[in-house]
Amino acid sequence: MRKRTLATLVLLLALAGTALAQEKRWVSSDGTTLKKEASISSEDLAQLPVGSELTVLEAGGRWVKVQAADGRQGWVYAGRISDAAPAAEVAGGEGGVLGGTLQESQIATAKADSARSIRGLSPEVAQYAKQRGTPEVYKKELDKVLARKVSAKELKTFLREGKIGEYAP
Amino acid sequence: MRLKQTTCLALFLIVCGSSAASAGFLDQLQKLADPESKERKMLSGATQVLSSAKDMDYPTERAIGESLALEGLQRFGLPVKDEALQQYVNQVGNAVAANSKRPTIPYRFAVLESNVQNAFAVPGGVIFISKELLGVIDNEAELAAVLAHEVGHVASKHAISSIRRAQFLQGVGTISAAQMKGDKGKQFESMIGDLQSVLFDKGLDKSMEFEADSAALESSYRSGYDPRGMITVLKKLKKLEASSVKKGSWFSTHPALDDRIERLEAQLKNYPDAASLATVPERFAKRVKLSGAKN
Repeated sequence: MRKRTLATLVLLLALAGTALAQEKRWVSSDGTTLKKEASISSEDLAQLPVGSELTVLEAGGRWVKVQAADGRQGWVYAGRISDAAPAAEVAGGEGGVLGGTLQESQIATAKADSARSIRGLSPEVAQYAKQRGTPEVYKKELDKVLARKVSAKELKTFLREGKIGEYAP
Repeated sequence: MRLKQTTCLALFLIVCGSSAASAGFLDQLQKLADPESKERKMLSGATQVLSSAKDMDYPTERAIGESLALEGLQRFGLPVKDEALQQYVNQVGNAVAANSKRPTIPYRFAVLESNVQNAFAVPGGVIFISKELLGVIDNEAELAAVLAHEVGHVASKHAISSIRRAQFLQGVGTISAAQMKGDKGKQFESMIGDLQSVLFDKGLDKSMEFEADSAALESSYRSGYDPRGMITVLKKLKKLEASSVKKGSWFSTHPALDDRIERLEAQLKNYPDAASLATVPERFAKRVKLSGAKN
């Protein structure tokens, strides 16, 4: 009887071990980089799009060792991943990252975003403002707000200078 | 499909919020099974919200947001004429937005010349904070938290969910410039009116505010900012409450500060290393120099 209990316990522990080894995480932040070592100053291995599925190899601190779907192993900052997949819409619809929908939707959004500073308010909003008789100054000021873009590079510099998140000592 | 069901249930639980906590989760599930129950009818409403929010494409969501932003500027004031300050607020805002539940849309932030303690977000990702509220803030972590709260509303599409009965949202919720001149345009204008009333006067549902507060803690923490910034800002507002303008402010459009602080403090246990994260007071002091704001 005691032998059987022990065997069950061993089996349970083995199963728990497997579950731990198979623990999944998903990239949930924009601009996530897979690093060679657990440090922001180490080499970049890959850029991981939002929704990418990762297998945890080693966790516990602010950096987590993971394996990406293509087999590459490296480290990501713990704040950039979560234990649940992001909403389908965020991760690019039903197809997810593998379906290519993510890239399409992100490219579409980025295009709309970069075109913004050139063309001003969207035609729909311009028409709304016309119908409402919105004074010109408000349209111009909103345009300026929309044109103020923070690039990925600028954001990285900003975080590094403030020693924030993965740039913390 | 499983995701859809989970989302529906999550939305329902948000709607039921406080009652779920008191009556118990299992009771709620039983009530849900009864087609005549109030809860089942609420769930059916929630599903409709979800489908209209889902049907809406991003350009339409953004057009709604930008139209509302035009109204907001007229009501609260124009952006402060300080390019360096506006850039800084955009950097802090984008830092937390990248770690929000919806990190892949473009966000824009602006400080408005307004003497009301207020911050608000319009659908699609344009977020405003008043100079008066910024004047209460002492470090970057606090600013990050307030902006992350607003990003939380955008990410969960709270404003649009609040006006689910709007005629514009019946059927396919999209708009083009040509349609603006017709009936669809009239419906669009009427919906913007409803949204102004929600965002500027009545405020969003309490459960949405609590959800945005939780999102602020989470995004701040994941970005590397001390999440206690949200609580310290609310505590400072609490001290100023008696002497501040109420109409159109965070005081009138948000749940009682004590209630928010209490819930946030309970959630802090999820972030045991909060105190070790960044607050960045020096850079904040250097970059935010306001003229004319009461402190």
